[in-house]
Amino acid sequence: MNYLIWTYLLYAVAAIGLTAILAKTLFTHGTIFLETVFEDRPGMAAAINRLLVTGFYMLNLGYALLIFQTNGAETAIDATEVLVTKLGLLLVSLGVIHFVNMAVFWRIQRHNDTRNFTPAMPSMTMPPPPAADTMPFPV
Amino acid sequence: MFGPNDRWGRLQAEWPPTRLTVIYDDTCELCRRCRHWLMLQPCHVELRFLATSDPVVRELYGDQPWYKVELMILDDLGRGWVGPEAFLMCLWATKRWRSMSFRLTGTAFAPLAERFFHALSANRSLVSGMLSAHHCDGDTCHVEVAG
Repeated sequence: MNYLIWTYLLYAVAAIGLTAILAKTLFTHGTIFLETVFEDRPGMAAAINRLLVTGFYMLNLGYALLIFQTNGAETAIDATEVLVTKLGLLLVSLGVIHFVNMAVFWRIQRHNDTRNFTPAMPSMTMPPPPAADTMPFPV
Repeated sequence: MFGPNDRWGRLQAEWPPTRLTVIYDDTCELCRRCRHWLMLQPCHVELRFLATSDPVVRELYGDQPWYKVELMILDDLGRGWVGPEAFLMCLWATKRWRSMSFRLTGTAFAPLAERFFHALSANRSLVSGMLSAHHCDGDTCHVEVAG
């Protein structure tokens, strides 16, 4: 009995299921995160989140399809080994892509953190500068 | 409570500053060149430059101990940065170097940056001596044309 077709079927179900579950987790928690970052621009949070999740789907499903093919599985043990190897590879790649996503979130957060800060706090108070003609704004 | 018209309310509302006044030593060639460089940078905030030799500036800030000693930066409410902090604020004002200004406050770079800016400020006359002076009348420079 050739177990290859069952390996393929199980792999396809697992790959799509795992990607969907992780994408949903990313989308749910990403929404909360991005809404706090872009609290003054609500549409922006949803747009960025959707784009990130779309990228996540494309990368993961694309990679899952790329490693889909195998040479053969004549016995049940062969089939199990092939399936486990492929799922392991897929999970590692999902993890890597997930952490890349986290890095993107972290960069967005850091950018937002510095928006209302200066590198040094004023250390003294002096008379305000005279209201002379201002220099042209350099562009 | 404090409202937007109180000083405290304004201090909170006008943060971070949207306009900075740089008070630089115009007798120093290095400072003049730095000012010129800064004027050419695309900025996030509006920058004004006042020379220490300006009588109005002398009148206002002449009694400050860092007058003509350190670079001074003020916002419109009179909040001031002096010395290395003022250098950082110059970088913060620019679009290109803002991220660098934050990086220079990290634990790895902060002591080095502070020492460098102090050294630059303390030795500016020495550095200026190595630079050839541009003599310009007023706010404009003319270009020497051969022939």
